[in-house]
Amino acid sequence: MKTLVVCAAAAVVLALIPIWVESPYALHIFILLFIAIALGESWNVIGGFAGQYSVGHSAWYGLGAYTAFVLLQRKGIAPWFGVWAAVALSVIIALVVGWITFRLRGPYFVLASIAVAEIIRLLALNTKDLTNGAEGILASDLPPLKLGGTVITDWNSKTPYFYMGLAMAVFTIAVNYVVKRSKLGYYLQAIREDQDAAHSLGIPLTMVKNAALGISAACTALVGSFAAFYVGFIEPNQVFGIDVSIQMVLTAIIGGIGTVAGPVLGAVVLVLISEALRASIAQAHLLVYGILVIVVILVMPDGFLGFIAHRLRRKAAAR
Amino acid sequence: MTALLEVRNVSRFFGGVKANQDVSFSVEPGIVLGLIGPNGAGKTTLFNCITGFYPPSRGEVIFDGQRINGFSPDKVCKLGMARTWQKVRPLAKLTVLENTVVGALCRTNSVAEAEKIALEQLRVVGLEKRTEVLAGGLPIGERKKLELARVMATKPRMILLDEVMGGLNARESEEIIRLILDVKKHGLTQVVIEHDMKAIVRTCDRIVVLNSGEKLAEGSPQQIVNDPRVMAAYLGDSGGAKA
Repeated sequence: MKTLVVCAAAAVVLALIPIWVESPYALHIFILLFIAIALGESWNVIGGFAGQYSVGHSAWYGLGAYTAFVLLQRKGIAPWFGVWAAVALSVIIALVVGWITFRLRGPYFVLASIAVAEIIRLLALNTKDLTNGAEGILASDLPPLKLGGTVITDWNSKTPYFYMGLAMAVFTIAVNYVVKRSKLGYYLQAIREDQDAAHSLGIPLTMVKNAALGISAACTALVGSFAAFYVGFIEPNQVFGIDVSIQMVLTAIIGGIGTVAGPVLGAVVLVLISEALRASIAQAHLLVYGILVIVVILVMPDGFLGFIAHRLRRKAAAR
Repeated sequence: MTALLEVRNVSRFFGGVKANQDVSFSVEPGIVLGLIGPNGAGKTTLFNCITGFYPPSRGEVIFDGQRINGFSPDKVCKLGMARTWQKVRPLAKLTVLENTVVGALCRTNSVAEAEKIALEQLRVVGLEKRTEVLAGGLPIGERKKLELARVMATKPRMILLDEVMGGLNARESEEIIRLILDVKKHGLTQVVIEHDMKAIVRTCDRIVVLNSGEKLAEGSPQQIVNDPRVMAAYLGDSGGAKA
C-alpha cells in the first residue's frame, strides 16, 4: 500500500514536469527514459519472472512499429487505432512462436528467440511492396489526436510524447505489479526457479510461458509502435535489430531482474550513462558503455536493486 | 478393494539400457507401499514413468481406473498424484511460504486462498515459523519438510516420496517417519522410496523390491526382511562378481 502511494506521487510529480521544463532536450531525455522503462518492464514479464531469456524481443517491438506505420501510410488509419492491430498481430505471432520454441530450454531457447527476430527482420527487408524494404517508412503527417471534435494535440511538440511515454511506463509497471502477485506470477517464478519441480506441482509449462510471452509481446508492441512514431522513421535493421533486444535485456538485468522496480532503476542508469557519454566523448561512447555494463554485471550480479537490498541487509545485520 | 494405482508390465529403456523391465504392482487406497532396491535398481525411473516425466516404453500406468501413460506431469498432479524429488528441488529465490503457495495454487485460482492452504500445511510439517525464509537458505532437513508441505498443498490423493529421509540425521528422520504415519492416518495413499530399512519396516504395509530394473520380490515387511533373494541383491549374489 505504501509503495503504491509513493509510486502514484512520483507519477504525479513527473506529470507536472513539462509545465516547468521547457528545454526540448530535457524532455527528450525523459521520453527516452520512459521508453526504456516500458521496454524493460515488458521484457521482465517473460525474461525476469519466468526466466526465459528472450534476446529476440525486437521481433515484437518491430512488428508493433511496422503494423502501425503501414496502417497509417497505406490505409490512413491513425496510430491510436492502428496500434491495437499491431498489438493483436504481435500477440498472435508470439503465441505461435512460443508454442514452438518453449519446448527448448536455456541457451537453446535464447538462440531460437534470436533466430525468430532475424527471420522477421529478413521478411520485412524483402517484402518491399508492403514495407518499403531497406528504404524504410517515414511517418509523414501524423493526424491530430481528437476527442469528440476538440483537438487534444497535433504532436508538434515534445509534450504529448512525454505524456504518452509516461503513460506507457506507468502501464507496464502496473502490469508487472499485477502479474507478480497473481497466480500467473507465482507459476512463472516457479518455472524460473526449477522447471521440473514446477511441472510436478501441476503447472502446465508451455501454457503458462505462452501467457507470459503474450503479455510481454503485447506490451512490447505497444511501446515499440510509440517509440517508432516518436523517432518518426523505421527501417528493418533498426527496429528488428538485436540492439533493441539487448537493450531490453540489459535494462532488466542491470536494474534487478524479476523485480517490479528493477527495470525502472536499470533504465535510469542506462539512459543517463548513455546520454552523458554521448555528450562527452562522442565516438567512443559505445565502447565505454559496453565496459561499464560488464563492470556493473560483474560487481552486482543481482542488479542495482539486489545490490542495494544486500547492502541494507548487511547494515541491518551489523547493527 | 480396487487399486488406486496399478502399474502393469511397465518397461523403460534408454537406448540399450533397460532401466525398468516388466514391473507390475498395485497400490490399494490408504496403504503405504515401500519401493526398495540397491542403487541403480530403477526406483526413481519408475517414479518418473508413473508421474509422467518419462512415458513408459511399454506397459500401462492406471491411476484411479484411468490409463495415464503419456500424460504430462502437470496433468498427473491435477489428477491427484504428487511426487517429491530425491535431490530436493526448492524454488530457491522464493520464500518457504511462496514455495508452498505454488503447490496450493494447483487447486485454487486465488492467491489468498492458496496462502491459507499453504500455512496449514507448513504447520503440519512444523515450518510455520520459517515462512519468510528463502527456500534456498534452508538446511537439508527443512528442505525435505518443505518438499513434503509443497506436495501436500496440491491436495493429492496419493503421494510418491523419493528418499525423503536421505541425508537426514536420526532425529530428523524420526520426524519424517511420524509425518508419514500421520498422513497415513488421514487416509492418504503413499509410495515411498527409501534406503533406511528400519524406516521402511515401520511405515510400510507392503514392500516391492526392485533389482536391475526388474521386480525381485513383493510382500509384507516381515517377508521381505527374511527373503534371501533380497539379501543377495543388496550384498551381491552368490556368483560373487560384485561382492
